[in-house]
Amino acid sequence: MSFKTFRQNVVGFGLTLLLAVGMLGATATPAQAHETACPYCKLPVVQDTKELDNEVVLRYGNKRIEYRCLLCAIGEAKSKYKKDVTILAPSDVKGKPVVIKRVDGEWTTEDKDALFIYAKGSHTECQTRYRAVRDKAGFDAFVKANPQTLKDAKALTLKEMVELSK
Amino acid sequence: MFKPISLKGLALGLAWGLALALSQVGHAQGEPVVPGWVSDARLGEVFYKRGAYNFDVYNVDPLARDLNGVAVGHSMAYEDLVTGKAAQLETKTYDRIVRVLKSPPKLMPAERFISPTFGRKYGYLEKLFDWTHILHAQTIDVLASADLTPEQKDKELEALWKFYKSSAPYTVTGLPLNMEFLDSQPYSGAFRRKYPKVNGLFWGYHWLQGAVYDMLWKSRSKGDMTWQYELVGKQYRESELYKTDRDFMPMFAETSPAFARRFPQMANAFDNLHMLHDMVNDILATNGMTEAQREAEIKRAIAMVVDDSHKGEDAGDQREGNAFHDHRSMEGQPGMGMMKMASPQLMFMPGMGWMSMNECGHCSMPMVLDPKAGYGATVSAEGWTMEVRCMLCARDMAAQVSGQALVRGNTEDPNRPLLLKSDDEGNWTANLKDVVFLEVEGPHATCSEWSRAFTSRAAFDAYVKAQQAENEEDESLKNAKPLTLKEWSARQGKEPDTYEKKQGPVPNPYKTDKKAEPAKPEVPKGAQATAKPAPKSCCSGDKK
Repeated sequence: MSFKTFRQNVVGFGLTLLLAVGMLGATATPAQAHETACPYCKLPVVQDTKELDNEVVLRYGNKRIEYRCLLCAIGEAKSKYKKDVTILAPSDVKGKPVVIKRVDGEWTTEDKDALFIYAKGSHTECQTRYRAVRDKAGFDAFVKANPQTLKDAKALTLKEMVELSK
Repeated sequence: MFKPISLKGLALGLAWGLALALSQVGHAQGEPVVPGWVSDARLGEVFYKRGAYNFDVYNVDPLARDLNGVAVGHSMAYEDLVTGKAAQLETKTYDRIVRVLKSPPKLMPAERFISPTFGRKYGYLEKLFDWTHILHAQTIDVLASADLTPEQKDKELEALWKFYKSSAPYTVTGLPLNMEFLDSQPYSGAFRRKYPKVNGLFWGYHWLQGAVYDMLWKSRSKGDMTWQYELVGKQYRESELYKTDRDFMPMFAETSPAFARRFPQMANAFDNLHMLHDMVNDILATNGMTEAQREAEIKRAIAMVVDDSHKGEDAGDQREGNAFHDHRSMEGQPGMGMMKMASPQLMFMPGMGWMSMNECGHCSMPMVLDPKAGYGATVSAEGWTMEVRCMLCARDMAAQVSGQALVRGNTEDPNRPLLLKSDDEGNWTANLKDVVFLEVEGPHATCSEWSRAFTSRAAFDAYVKAQQAENEEDESLKNAKPLTLKEWSARQGKEPDTYEKKQGPVPNPYKTDKKAEPAKPEVPKGAQATAKPAPKSCCSGDKK
């Protein structure tokens, strides 16, 4: 091990220790990078978990902006962003978002089996109510896992979802 | 004409008298002391220190005019408050001020010409405002000079501070003052509750007056200043003036952290001045005080922020149970006093949450805050400014917010900072035409070593060579290629493995009403147990 690497290890350990004990009256939650408020609805963006992705990402040029739910992302895209956008909508499957694009005003997705859960209700539950799923089986399973919130859920096409987003 | 006092008026006056007397409980007897010179009726004009740079703010003409508009706006509101027009402050006065802000004057009028009644009534206060405003104006002139070198500017700024302290009869202290204490007087908050729109304008002015310092200090030409002000001025005129949801007045170090760190006394003095403005606003907006009580409280507010009340005290001093003499500052930021519920390690930045001023806003790693270190940057977007440890952190942090952004980064040459401005798609333009970037992503604990900006290819090569010579076994930079601005702009780093979200004692110390707290987000229940397992993705850690 070089001295530089050794030094880095010592410094890294020291810094880690400092961070762990040096924050008087405070705690920290590790590695939930950039908890932020949704720029559209101003509620906190629900963070990804080990089991499920929740953060909706809108790409606009080099921008990568997180939203709380798909409705918010589409709503902002319609009102604020005039050029092409890509939205990575977290699905029922960890690590497999449904990729939605708007090119020259037209909304498409290459995920041909994808559906969009729509269960109108409180926006505090929007992450559950307005969500992409990869297919019909995913829709059924997700609704079954959230029976109270999604008891009246519809499975929409992309076009229908975009129309309902304000 | 003698006007008999009503029973109601008498009752309110007595109630205020009791409240104000009780507010002094807990301080040492008689503190703060109102010095005798406060009653000196002489004009006491102090003009600018002599310098060829005076009025160089006009090198950035839109900035000069916006600052002229600030002076008019403040004065109009004060004059209306003391001439019986308080009831129209949020309507006619506000509209009048906004008209001026949209067409600001070419020259800065003396405030006493726009608020003569206020000036006559509170001349001692106006004098303190005027002398400190001159410090504000001259420091901006120095920074806006196209003729002084950076070293000359720094030297002259120090000279201006000495001039302020020696020539003005009484001056605002450069010690960090406890903002929570100052903003917890019996009358605190009255103005912002009653006149949120006009208060929004005032706090917008404070935002501008702070934000331009880093902008100018990091500039190396008139072009740099003008180019940055296109965005800073736009943010000010279109957004910052009209915010009515701020938790607290913008602090100097929140918008110009680099300048505040280098010149902490000045930063503290400007914050203390702005807080004095807020305290006076609150006093004037409070119903039920008699004129004598109002005057006494304004003098007391002055006494709280001037040097006389803090003689012999130093930055960092603290007296047990006496927040009036609490001169602690944030760790890593000597140019900011204690905020509400803050500790030196942690403060709540309105709009951003709890944070340390010692750590990168993107990856939470400690920062070395010396421009000579050759790395580190600030990111300004949506009206906030954050300090970051490396250029990847700067770029990625800016990419996560909508709209345009400014980055002011250190390069290997402390005299040639990198200034970057993005459009609303995150496409960057730079002041240094030959800038190249190093980015060989590794663990964020060492991001400042593998993510940097250089003024030239030669500087890049020299750095890589030096790193390899220092550590022959570390081959991470061996094949590093310099990235052009375009190549660097299009990249995106992983979410930092070192990021930590800070939690303070409460979610928001300025909103301790439980009803005001946002609902906790519901975490949806996934359906993984019944769904088919997803095929392993080659890119599951990089989905974005």
